[in-house]
Amino acid sequence: MMLASLIIVPLAFALFIAVGPERSAARVSLVGMLATLGLSILAAFAFDWGFGGQFQFGMSVDWLPGLGLTLSLGVDSVALMLVLLTAVLGPVCVLASWTAITERVKTYYAWMMVLQAAMIGVFAARDLVFFYICFEFTLIPMFLLIALYGSTNRMRAATKFFLFTFTGSVVALAGLLYVAWHHAQTRGVWTFEIDALELAARTLPPHVQALILGALLLGFAVKVPLFPLHTWLPLAHTEAPTAGSVILAGVLLKLGTYAIYRFVLPFAPEAVIEYAYPLAVLCTIGIIYGGLVCWVQTDVKKLVAYSSVAHLGFCMLGMFALNHAGVTGSVLYMLNHGLSTGALFLLIGMMYERYHTRSMKEIGGLGARMPVWSTFLVFFVMASVGLPGLNGFVGEFLCLMGAFQASDAWGAGLWGTTPGDSTVGGTRGSLGPWVAAVAGTGMIIAAIYLLYMVGKVVFGTLREPPGHASHADHHAGDAHRAAGLPVDLTRREIGALAPIAALCVFLGVYPKPVLDAVQAPVERTVTTIAEARGKPKFRPPVELAPPAEHAAEGAHP
Amino acid sequence: MSDALTLAQQGWPAAFPAVTLAHYLFVSAAMFTVGLIGFLTRRNLIIMFLCTELMFQAAGIALVAFGRYHLDFSGQTFVIFILTVAAAEAAMALALVVLLFRKRETLSADEWTEMKG
Amino acid sequence: MLHQALHLLPTLAAAPPAHADSGAAATPGGQLLMLVPALCVLAALFSALSGPLKIRSKIPGYFSVACLAGAFVAVLLTYLGHESGVKIAHGFEWITFKWGDGPGQALTGNFAFYVDSLTLLWMLFVTGLGALIALYSVEYMADDVGLGYARYFFAFNIFVLSMSCLVMADNLLLLFLGWEGVGLCSYLLIGYFYKKPVAVAAAKKAFIVNRIGDLGLVLGLLATFVAFGTLGYDPLFAMIRAGVDAKGAPIADSWVTDVIPLLLMAGAFGKSAQVFFYVWLPDAMEGPTPVSALIHAATMVTAGVFLIARMYPLYAADDDHMALSLVAWCGAITALWSATIGMSIFDIKRVMGYSTISQLGYMFAGLGLLAPTGAAFHTLTHAFFKATLFLAVGAVMHGFGGQLDLRRLSGVARMRGFGIVGLAMLVGSLNLSGVPGTAGFFSKDMILAQGFSTPASMIEAPQAIAWVLLLTAGLTAYYTFRAFFRVFTGPVEYLPGDDEHLLEHGRHPKGTTLAEWHKQHGHGHGHDHAHTELTGVAARRAHGRKDFDPTTEEFDPHPPGWAINASLVICALLAIAAAALYFVKTPHAEEGGWVGGMIERSSAAFHSPHEFNLLGITSHSAMYLVSALVGLTGIAVAAFLHAPKGWQGLFLGSRDTAATSRADALTPRLGRVARWARAKWYVDELYDWFLVKPLRGIAYVSSWIDKLLVDGLVDAAGALPARVGRVLRPSQSGVLHGYAAGMAGGVALVLLLVLIVLN
Repeated sequence: MMLASLIIVPLAFALFIAVGPERSAARVSLVGMLATLGLSILAAFAFDWGFGGQFQFGMSVDWLPGLGLTLSLGVDSVALMLVLLTAVLGPVCVLASWTAITERVKTYYAWMMVLQAAMIGVFAARDLVFFYICFEFTLIPMFLLIALYGSTNRMRAATKFFLFTFTGSVVALAGLLYVAWHHAQTRGVWTFEIDALELAARTLPPHVQALILGALLLGFAVKVPLFPLHTWLPLAHTEAPTAGSVILAGVLLKLGTYAIYRFVLPFAPEAVIEYAYPLAVLCTIGIIYGGLVCWVQTDVKKLVAYSSVAHLGFCMLGMFALNHAGVTGSVLYMLNHGLSTGALFLLIGMMYERYHTRSMKEIGGLGARMPVWSTFLVFFVMASVGLPGLNGFVGEFLCLMGAFQASDAWGAGLWGTTPGDSTVGGTRGSLGPWVAAVAGTGMIIAAIYLLYMVGKVVFGTLREPPGHASHADHHAGDAHRAAGLPVDLTRREIGALAPIAALCVFLGVYPKPVLDAVQAPVERTVTTIAEARGKPKFRPPVELAPPAEHAAEGAHP
Repeated sequence: MSDALTLAQQGWPAAFPAVTLAHYLFVSAAMFTVGLIGFLTRRNLIIMFLCTELMFQAAGIALVAFGRYHLDFSGQTFVIFILTVAAAEAAMALALVVLLFRKRETLSADEWTEMKG
Repeated sequence: MLHQALHLLPTLAAAPPAHADSGAAATPGGQLLMLVPALCVLAALFSALSGPLKIRSKIPGYFSVACLAGAFVAVLLTYLGHESGVKIAHGFEWITFKWGDGPGQALTGNFAFYVDSLTLLWMLFVTGLGALIALYSVEYMADDVGLGYARYFFAFNIFVLSMSCLVMADNLLLLFLGWEGVGLCSYLLIGYFYKKPVAVAAAKKAFIVNRIGDLGLVLGLLATFVAFGTLGYDPLFAMIRAGVDAKGAPIADSWVTDVIPLLLMAGAFGKSAQVFFYVWLPDAMEGPTPVSALIHAATMVTAGVFLIARMYPLYAADDDHMALSLVAWCGAITALWSATIGMSIFDIKRVMGYSTISQLGYMFAGLGLLAPTGAAFHTLTHAFFKATLFLAVGAVMHGFGGQLDLRRLSGVARMRGFGIVGLAMLVGSLNLSGVPGTAGFFSKDMILAQGFSTPASMIEAPQAIAWVLLLTAGLTAYYTFRAFFRVFTGPVEYLPGDDEHLLEHGRHPKGTTLAEWHKQHGHGHGHDHAHTELTGVAARRAHGRKDFDPTTEEFDPHPPGWAINASLVICALLAIAAAALYFVKTPHAEEGGWVGGMIERSSAAFHSPHEFNLLGITSHSAMYLVSALVGLTGIAVAAFLHAPKGWQGLFLGSRDTAATSRADALTPRLGRVARWARAKWYVDELYDWFLVKPLRGIAYVSSWIDKLLVDGLVDAAGALPARVGRVLRPSQSGVLHGYAAGMAGGVALVLLLVLIVLN
């Protein structure tokens, strides 16, 4: 019921907002978001973290039992943490829209609540159909948020966003349905329970797994986004309203990484092992190329948008390292990127509200005008750069560590080691030190482009857009007041940023609870991979098993 | 059942021994062709509408005939439905024609080419 | 004979020293040191909050001084209670998790301190100087009270916090936390005057160059983990001491001792501004001077030295000492390279910056020449005397509106209120030049002497390194006293900098005026022009002290107040007193005095090869004479070229204006060499053309590729359905009869097909 209420409550509030008056929409929405947050915190307390690898709060409602369609919910610790991330960013987004949204307020907040419900649904789903419904349903509110409330080029951005991600996920659906069909063929019953499909998928021969991998990645990698499927992201980000960008970077991208974590690794382990290297190369290209493209942007928001491409390259690199350190790092990266990049978008939104431009050619040296804003910006930039002591570092380091470790060559006598199993810190895999070293240059490039941005926007001589205000202080103040905003941040804005900042510090200084919590699910994933490695490369085609036989037997020939 | 089938195939009821399924189907086909030709050749919206009704009813006759032939009443049931829907549709369609007439003061179908790609 | 004896040394060196008890397992303890980060956090939070709380006084400054002094006391107490061995003070678990029970299946990155004498040695001067320079800053930054004051002290305290983590960490991961933390603080503090574009660029450059080195460090960390399955010093050193990795395979001749030291070295060189990485440090002089003193001279830049000293067992475990040879050579070359630049530029703060790079080169050379004691001792003495020098330069800067050009200042020591500054500067200069009897003399000597006695079988060409270092010692003495004689002695003459206007206009004083001035006067070697410019336009001249009356001048040079003077005096005294450490007898080491005892008790202990000994003259006593001679020669040359007439110039000089000296006649004869050296050998330009610009070019190309190719393909795919539609479009005529005919025809066609199929 816990999870169902987490989905129903935002939907109910969406309804309230839709039928309620226009002027109270924001407040009702804030209450709704806070209620969701409260519920999710309650869920976190009720969750038995000692058994984080097991799916808890499970519930299942028959929908069309004849077709094997059920609605099942349940979270393990990774999913719950992503639910928490979503719930934390919810109220922040409402606060960020407080003054920015002045027209069609009801529609806006109602869709926002629906989006919240859909996103939580993705993380809470335990069956494929519900997962996919929620996964796709996030597109509709997001499409409307961009198309109705975005900036000048919003229709194009919204359409591109919708079509690009939708096209991808249709292919992913085909892959998932194939697995379900395979399950029906071999076991004789239709089901969409993820657990059952996982076991069924692993009995597929490697070349079919490779096709499944391709289909799923085509869908989910668009969402991540993995190079070269990223081009919708900068456009969508630049055109989306602030809260839209925050959700997009904070949660929607995590739908992709989460789906890869939840489906690609367990469904096609052998194929992932086989193709880990080319995928890691794509991630690495994304890291470096995304970073370099960031560096030449003049639009601050576009810069941060491209930085997501680079950052999620790290996240995926850790995932494809397929070892404990890497996958743990990847999961942490999902949380951390959501917080720090989300906050950066918030800050840029606040600046945009005041200056109505995001071009680094027009603004600069805002440290003198908006010290509080600047302090927050430098803080979150540092979190994003991966400064140890702030959240970004933990995930980034572990991802690199995973990539560095993951090389069969450690045991095979390459990398200068003596032949035989001569290292203890190395793991099986095909990535290795060179991939880590090349990807590690992303650390440097991240420092280059983010400090370039800070140097332009925060530091240096004060530059404000022409016509915005004269250089005299009181004039600038008047201009802001005309927009209903003071020169520097308001308490509401600080209230939106401060909790994220606190979380960033907490996760950077004491990531232990999170690290411990995700160990059990990561263990599950890594064990799957290890079992797949143990399999012979070519197997006879799978025989049709009698339906009565338990699924587990089929998984380990 | 097998008796009834035999009876029907022998041309029961005996009072009209000459009228067989083929007659009904001929009438139906003739009506349909008349409707089709009318629809393709006439420009008047109302006439065209009447032609579609003609084709409709041709299909209805065929249905009734086949239903009777197979001693299955769903054919007739369908026709009842079709008649009802056709009545409603006629009301709708004529109303639309009136609207269209009001717009262009003509009943010629060639006046309306909005669907041109 | 000698050579044969020395061949035995590697085995001797690799074995743990008999009397060094660092081999004993670590015990819990030293919890008092937890106070250090706690106090730093407290001070940082208070400073940060003083902004929003609108505290417009020096309270945050004094509070920081008190906290840092408390931290120093905590370190001191721990030191006094520390005998030998290693204690580990456990704080909390940071990045710690395990995925199995075997070795290498857990990552342990605890917030815990590894307390041994190396840690304590570093911590003593980090916290001590931290407190002292915080006191100096209280006054130095007084102009910014209520503005940047909170920001300054926040970053300052976070710096000491990070430096403590770096030094005291019990694992490489926490060291990396400190490592990046000091980098951040360095960034924030170099960019403290954030309205100056030059300062912002310098801050960015420092952070990015450091990050390049940090990549090496991260990879080194990862390689360490892969080889040893741990990042904690205690298990790491136990394995290295046994000469094996975690699997029990010998490491002396494996990738472990070849690759990891090199990777760590990259990190060390980044932070300590060596070889390719040095370019950020001179630019870092854009920060407030106390910051330059603490971060960019005394503490942070020695982090690289510390890293190598900390990981010395690993470096020493290599059978051919390849990494150490490289460290030594890089150190020596950097020392010489930056000394040549220091000799020719006119900005005294940058002279000190280049001298820091040069002296760091010495320290690395010391480490590489198998003299960790000498390196550590030089780090310590350098921390004191370079801090003294920077603080003195800072006092001049503070007093003359940011003026740093040594051609525009003269006779400062003779001006009212600047006596202490002059004396402190003299103390620092004597130390830096290695004048006999000073601390700098002894520490430099230890490294030089070691260079001449290290056998070539252990390090590549150690004697050549020693000669390079000796030459550098002479150059160092020259450029140090060049600055001293030009600025502090001679006729009183000055031209203020335009720091006064800094806050209003937010522009860089030197960036506008001095650059233009250079442009007009072609790098200043036309001394007549310089002279007229100084006298004619804006120079306020006063011949001798009696004529000088600051009240009638437009510009008042304001002499330092009590806080600056007190810190200067303490710092100078410490710099003098450091020499005494050399003579402290310690039961733990035969030589090297107190520092020797500290190092011998720590993991960095290394039995340096026996000295070269000829007719009862050891390399040390020989070096006393040689290096004293070289140093004094350098000073004499400086006096001849730059000093004023009379006793102030050791009766060698002849300078009578600020702007000109005998050297002006000399430099044109050197031609290009002098010009290139003054242009810093065009290294910055080289980097710009060959690294930054190409990279930016690639970035632009990537951006276009993204727009045109990657996104273009996507858009093309999106446009495909539209294209297809356009082809099929004419079939939609819009004529009702057309559709009807089509439909009828279609039905007929289908029926026909059915018929054909059925028949």
